[in-house]
Amino acid sequence: MNVAYFPGCSQHGLAKENDLSSRIVCRRLGINLQEIEDWNCCGATAAHSLNHLLAIGLSARNLSRARDMGLEKITTPCAGCFNRLKTASYAMKNNQIIAEKVQKIIGEPAPHEPEVKSLLQLISEEIGQGVQQKVIKPLSGLRLAAYYGCLLTRPKQISAFDDPDQPVSMDHLIQALGAETISWGYKTECCGGGYAASQTGIVYDLGGQVLKAALDGGAEAIVVACPMCQANLDTRQEAICQSKGETRRLPIVYFTQLMGLAFGYSPAELGMKRLLNSPYPLLKKKHLL
Amino acid sequence: MSDRAEKTALVIGGGIAGLEAAITIAGAGHQVILVEKSPQLGGTTRELYSSFPHWENPAELLQGKIDEAQKTGVQVKTGFEVISSQKQATGYQVVLEGPGQKREELAVDAVVVATGFELFDVSAYGEYGYGSYPGVVNTLEFEARLREWARGEGKEAPPQTVAFIKCVGSRDRSKGYPYCSKICCMITAKQAGLVKELWPDSKCYVFYMDYRAAGKGYEEFVRSVIEEKHVRYTRGRPAKILPEDGRLLIRTEDTLMGVPVEIRADMVVLAAAMQPGPGTREMSRIFDLNTDQYGFLEPLSGQAARVGERVFAAGGCIFPVENQGALQQGAAAGAGVVALFNQAR
Amino acid sequence: MSETMPKPVASFFPALRLDELDDALAREIKEECGVDVELCLECGKCSGGCSNGHIFDYTPRKIVQLIKLGDRERLLHMDALWTCVSCQLCWDRCPSAINVARVMDYLREQTYKENVPPTRKEVALFHELMLGSVERIGRVAETRLVLEFNIKTKQYTKDADIGPKMFFKGKLNPFTSGIKKIEEVRQIFRKNPLRKEV
Repeated sequence: MNVAYFPGCSQHGLAKENDLSSRIVCRRLGINLQEIEDWNCCGATAAHSLNHLLAIGLSARNLSRARDMGLEKITTPCAGCFNRLKTASYAMKNNQIIAEKVQKIIGEPAPHEPEVKSLLQLISEEIGQGVQQKVIKPLSGLRLAAYYGCLLTRPKQISAFDDPDQPVSMDHLIQALGAETISWGYKTECCGGGYAASQTGIVYDLGGQVLKAALDGGAEAIVVACPMCQANLDTRQEAICQSKGETRRLPIVYFTQLMGLAFGYSPAELGMKRLLNSPYPLLKKKHLL
Repeated sequence: MSDRAEKTALVIGGGIAGLEAAITIAGAGHQVILVEKSPQLGGTTRELYSSFPHWENPAELLQGKIDEAQKTGVQVKTGFEVISSQKQATGYQVVLEGPGQKREELAVDAVVVATGFELFDVSAYGEYGYGSYPGVVNTLEFEARLREWARGEGKEAPPQTVAFIKCVGSRDRSKGYPYCSKICCMITAKQAGLVKELWPDSKCYVFYMDYRAAGKGYEEFVRSVIEEKHVRYTRGRPAKILPEDGRLLIRTEDTLMGVPVEIRADMVVLAAAMQPGPGTREMSRIFDLNTDQYGFLEPLSGQAARVGERVFAAGGCIFPVENQGALQQGAAAGAGVVALFNQAR
Repeated sequence: MSETMPKPVASFFPALRLDELDDALAREIKEECGVDVELCLECGKCSGGCSNGHIFDYTPRKIVQLIKLGDRERLLHMDALWTCVSCQLCWDRCPSAINVARVMDYLREQTYKENVPPTRKEVALFHELMLGSVERIGRVAETRLVLEFNIKTKQYTKDADIGPKMFFKGKLNPFTSGIKKIEEVRQIFRKNPLRKEV
């Protein structure tokens, strides 16, 4: 399967391990990721917060480049980029005025194709339980919290994938890898989003609630599908836990890293050394190294 | 068939509306066959422990109607369903299916559909965790628990804090139904009042957008639940339930003060919307009846109860309605049949 | 308890002459954002679910109400605009599907067009620095962005606890490569300036 690939800025920087593990896993699953040439930043929170058309325009350029590749689907391992690309696509498709304005901004017709899917959605829908066939090393004994964050399944009008409040796609994937998932209520609660730098207190508050809920639910690690959630919960975990007198810590792992592990790749190959709260002690304890 | 002196009416559905229709028609001297899909008569009323506005146990009302039906000679067939019908000159040839797939054919001169409503599946509201978090139940499930607790047969420990969330599936253009299900405000007030009756020291909250008490004695009923039984009504539609330390954390806004509000409850009752039941949908198809966009049967313009050619309807299959209303509609449908039978053909 | 209650209502709203208000703002929001505030049931589900509702000066439901009341000035000066996480819960949970998140974006955009200073300068600054990077090279140079932000906000030792850790894990990439056809991106910026041309 050939799919246009939009990495997003984090995947070339802070969240390189997300890009690494995503590529490894897709290759194993027969998904040929073709990186969009000369893609630009989707604008993330900053663009849509300050200028609606700027945000749509930035995404429109990427969708145009993907359209030129002649591929039917475009995927990204970043939930934020997914939301921006799909929101832009939705706006251009359903609002003629916006489509016309975009045409004037980017100098070409507003792109309606390709279909935008998050990587979790793509793997979940196209491969689904077929993932099981590729599992060489079942991750038995692991109890994990599947954390979806805000933008993978929400808002339902845009994402049109899984359930906005009680999603199960990542849980099912994790179970197909042989691990156990916990039942918890914070699957789609916000981690604090883009405020890590400018209002760090918000991340401590909201991210802290997610961490507590996962810990109280008996999780041994949190599995994520968004580089922002990963960064917030991982890099700020020490500060959050210290401020609340919490001594327990949790590794925050990308679902693609987990999949790669089950497919037989080493933690190092999957960029697990880059995670601040190391998953190595946990993996060692469960004889998964 | 067309000139038979003795006419036969088929009443489909053995709840309050169907029973009243059957009694009305049989009382006027006609043959009535009452079919009920389940093994017992009573419909939704059978599941109720109490009723508004007089706090009466509807079991007495129900038994009274069942006895009267028997006295007036209504032929009751429980465990039977109508599976097909063919229109005749002055009536219908219907096929019934009973226990063991036994089939019977009947010629009837008029039909009353009283197949009732069912509760909307509230697991559609993932934010409330029905089906995911223990302690989250719907209206009828809670009614069953109230009956058990009242009789000392409770399987679970009595909850210390109970919260009711209204309009789950109603008044919602985003998911569920845009309409108001009419009777849930009263049912909720009743159930909340019963909680305080059983455990006066418990905490009981009703989260509302409005409370609709348009009926005789209804406003006074709700006020008594608030003022005499001390159930706490808070205005604000809860946004989510989160499991916390074995309890249920509800997050909402007190819209009258404009402040965020939280409570921790042991049990949360979702006042679910009411929608046409499978029986209603089936009968509307089998008899080619007039329905609205939700599948409820719709009386023809200007008609009290007629929904088709020689077909009348009563009760929850038209729209959610309480026992008093079901009784009235059953009588109206029955009277419609009797008037039809009194005419030349 | 008294600390959590807002000040008496009368100090915010001297009696409103409801019959003297027009619906210009409601119409503006409907046209620009596709949001019809008349659909609001005033149920408060948006506020109840709002991730940061507990630190907003006006909760989402109140924001919709302010639109109905035409109080554009108050809306543009809200602190809530600069603490909203854009989690989309308000839109997703609303029984009338009112996109409050979009309205927040729109109001923020208007503060720039009308030179209303943000109540939290750092938030606006971070957004501008990020967009500056995109305009410059078409991508976000993360390391440079955080450094620039910390310096400009005079928080020189912020993130000193995690900085070195991240550096040794190879997470801080000092050299972010830009895109080739940067003019295409700059053109998008030129056609959508944040502020009105003076």
